[in-house]
Amino acid sequence: MFSRNKKPNLSVSTDMMKKQKRYEALVKAFHADIFRYAMWLIKDKAIAEDVVQETFLRAWKSLDSLKDQAAAKSWLITILRRENARRFERKQFDLVDIDDVVVADPHNFGDVTLEHRELRRIMSNLSEEYREPLMMQILMGFTGDEIAEQLNLNKNTVMTRLFRARNQIKEALLDEQPKGEQVNG
Amino acid sequence: MDELSFRRTIYAEPNTTDPDIIQAANNDPAKQAFWDEVKAMDAQLAQAMNIPVPENFADKLILRQGMDEFTQKRKKRPWYVAMAASVAMVVGVSYMTLLAGNNGLANDVFAHVSHEYMNKEMTMGGKNVTQEAINEKMATFNGSLSEDIGEVVSANYCYLNTIKSLHMIIRGKTGLVNLFVVTDNKSKELEEDFSNDELIGTSFLLSSAKIIIVGDDKEDVSQLQLVAKNAFRF
Repeated sequence: MFSRNKKPNLSVSTDMMKKQKRYEALVKAFHADIFRYAMWLIKDKAIAEDVVQETFLRAWKSLDSLKDQAAAKSWLITILRRENARRFERKQFDLVDIDDVVVADPHNFGDVTLEHRELRRIMSNLSEEYREPLMMQILMGFTGDEIAEQLNLNKNTVMTRLFRARNQIKEALLDEQPKGEQVNG
Repeated sequence: MDELSFRRTIYAEPNTTDPDIIQAANNDPAKQAFWDEVKAMDAQLAQAMNIPVPENFADKLILRQGMDEFTQKRKKRPWYVAMAASVAMVVGVSYMTLLAGNNGLANDVFAHVSHEYMNKEMTMGGKNVTQEAINEKMATFNGSLSEDIGEVVSANYCYLNTIKSLHMIIRGKTGLVNLFVVTDNKSKELEEDFSNDELIGTSFLLSSAKIIIVGDDKEDVSQLQLVAKNAFRF
């Protein structure tokens, strides 16, 4: 009665090992990008780490549903965005509009040049609807179509947002320039 | 291509491969310069976005999944363990109900006759209980003791499970004998004669009350039975 189970068990464990290897490869290839994306989305290191952990845990659980390796990145981003949304469902009382609060402390992001610090401040001040597609494009390398699919928008809207995002950054940089000189001078 | 739509496209997608855009840039150095400028800004943005990842983060993610897997595996018990557990439980429950159903009161009586319990009773009751003291207690059962039934070393109320009884310990010829007085309506299930490996019990009815006598010596028990039949009045 028990011996009947033995043979399938062997193939199950090799399947598990294959899955484990696949998972580890996925983590190694994408954890940095996913973490950075989460940081820009959430702007809090501890929460971002948590959400990324949840994301990969969920990815592990449904790894079999990922058929196309090339789609892995956007698959992970989809999970991440859902996990992030769940955070707000779970904690209704925590629902502060994060864009209204200047949470982004440039020092939190690690040691960088003044120029980058400036850029980071500007980026974290962008509203989410502009920041997110920009992140997808620059950080994740998504095409306009891929961003449209992720955000459930049509491509024209995405392109407009990307244009406005860069426009706002450019304007902010121009505004910052005199200030920068004052500091230096 | 007009200036505005060129700028819009470049701003939206600096890495565009749109041939019209490339053509326009080739034809106009100012457009090309603008494009280069946006590309430079994008490169800066990409660098600025490059936040350092926490140390050993990948290992942490892999470990975390391993732990989750481990707890999940532990939860999965083979079916035969569950089967064995439920069989054991059914056996246990039926054994207990059979036992209790057959001679619940007898078991309670035996429990009260154990040496340990008797010793406790005797230290509580003191020595040589008088007939008067017994009769005070007998009043609860609307009865009385009119004759000498031998040396009573203890007489106490006690509960046979939920049934109130008067438990007397009487010295017999070879050892101690126990006598319980209970009301009849609570003790109908008890058989007239009962026993286990060590003890012999007998019970008889005296109008509204039942007398139960238990001891380890058969002669002592039947001797006390004879005496008790005449000594108690209800």
